[in-house]
Amino acid sequence: MSAAFWVWFGIAIYIAAGLAIAIMARRQLGAGVSEFFLANRKLGGFLSAMTYSATTYSAFMMIGLAGLTYFHGVGALGFELTYLCGMFMMVFFLPRFWLVGKKYGYVSPIELLSDRYQSKWVGATAAILALVFLVPYGAVQLMGVGYLMNGISQGVIPVVVGIIIAVVCAIAWSSIAGLRSVAWTDAFQAIIMITVSAAVLGVVVASLGGLGAFFSKLESAVPGLLTVPAATGAWNINMFIGLALPWLFFLISNPQVSQRLFIPKSVTAMKQMLGGFLIFGFIYTLISVLWGFSATLLVPGLENADLATPTLLALPIIPMGLAIIVMIGITAAAISTIDSILLTLSSVWARDIYKGLINPKVSERKELRVGQWVIPIMAIIAFGFAWWVAEQAGGVLELMIAPLSAAASAGLLMVVPTIFGAFFWKRATATGAIVSCIVGAIIVLLFQITGWKPLGWWPGVWGFVVCVPLFIIVSLATKPPREKAEEFIGYLRGALKKGRFI
Amino acid sequence: MTKSAWAWTWFAFLLALDIAIPWFVLTRVETVSGAFLFWTVWVAVAIISAFVIFRRWREVKR
Repeated sequence: MSAAFWVWFGIAIYIAAGLAIAIMARRQLGAGVSEFFLANRKLGGFLSAMTYSATTYSAFMMIGLAGLTYFHGVGALGFELTYLCGMFMMVFFLPRFWLVGKKYGYVSPIELLSDRYQSKWVGATAAILALVFLVPYGAVQLMGVGYLMNGISQGVIPVVVGIIIAVVCAIAWSSIAGLRSVAWTDAFQAIIMITVSAAVLGVVVASLGGLGAFFSKLESAVPGLLTVPAATGAWNINMFIGLALPWLFFLISNPQVSQRLFIPKSVTAMKQMLGGFLIFGFIYTLISVLWGFSATLLVPGLENADLATPTLLALPIIPMGLAIIVMIGITAAAISTIDSILLTLSSVWARDIYKGLINPKVSERKELRVGQWVIPIMAIIAFGFAWWVAEQAGGVLELMIAPLSAAASAGLLMVVPTIFGAFFWKRATATGAIVSCIVGAIIVLLFQITGWKPLGWWPGVWGFVVCVPLFIIVSLATKPPREKAEEFIGYLRGALKKGRFI
Repeated sequence: MTKSAWAWTWFAFLLALDIAIPWFVLTRVETVSGAFLFWTVWVAVAIISAFVIFRRWREVKR
């Protein structure tokens, strides 16, 4: 039987299993907005950890990060592990988000900002940023799936068909039971992601003579890739900071992950979520980077970094069955990120835009219906963007995955001062938040589009350098919501002490 | 200094090492025991630090 047949077979099994899990999750679905978008804040530690992991780690890891390692070496490991080190900040933010989420009933992190700053326009600004920057990020995942299926099936499955499959799955997983179906399918997909990537890496490393021989070959064949700035000179400090800075604050800047800080059912579940994620992230990052290094040894000389993984999977040393399972694993990584983005964006539309700005007296039932309608609409927009970018690139990825992902995170980075201010600075104001977010985002977009990098600094760095002082100066010059700030931060101070949080 | 201030300082120190060691100390070490090993151990230290902090957390009674 042909490769295409087995690819289709693998996809069918994956979709059937995912659907079955989502439908099972639906049995536990209750009524209401909080239930649909947050599983009523009653998720256990294992599910919380797995949904956080699967949402965070996308197709970028086994394609983009592996490609970055393939071309530019160990700096890719440093960049991705800097993100993981940034998760240290969870010891500050996880209990804070969780506590105020429970007390004030926030459904989205954007609603938290609107309430804390006592300004619906802060929420509107953060919502627009999320919409502008998360759609391309979601589209990148779709493109990854399209190209991967196209590559593994040796061109039989067109890129657009792969993209459509990913879109349909993401809509289904997020619509069937909201966060419950997303979390359950995420757990299923996270297990696939880590087990199959570990298995195929094991096969590749074994074919190179084991881990010791693999490292020796790396040192003799590509020593320049084991240091920074690397033989290519690519990993200069500017590039490293440009890529790493947006990712460092990913845990609070990206609403689809910060929304998950509301969902653990208890402090024990919170601890399990954080611990589970840190271990998952450590292992998965090492696997992805070693995967990229193995590609440098086995398929040297590629011109397109994003083709390193598909090319490696096409080697005869990888059994066809395993290659297809890996393709499913990467597809799972992409879809588990997209469905979470869709669900979060739908909650932003329903809660922060429709209820917050258009119809404050809307019933909970109608609010939920708005959110459910938004899921396919956002999916279609992401699909259109993915298709457009694929066409622009002339049918090949052209190193699109890493820069597009970085651009999305760089844009969302601009909301970080506003989030810090909400939790740590009583003097922070709505005007400071709005001005810093808008000016920072405009700078990022302008620099990203024009490719302009004054002093060699990347767009996210420039945006951040401007938006942090702007947030402080404008806040000092305007009037803060003093009563709310006292009440919000005062409540946290007491609650943090009770839970022995810091 | 409060525990929170200590934690922020420790985090800032880790970030300083993230740049200082690979670019200024290990830049000529072209082996796996260079930047690769450093970043692996470095993030393991960050993860263990987080575990040390959050293992003290207790359920919040209402």
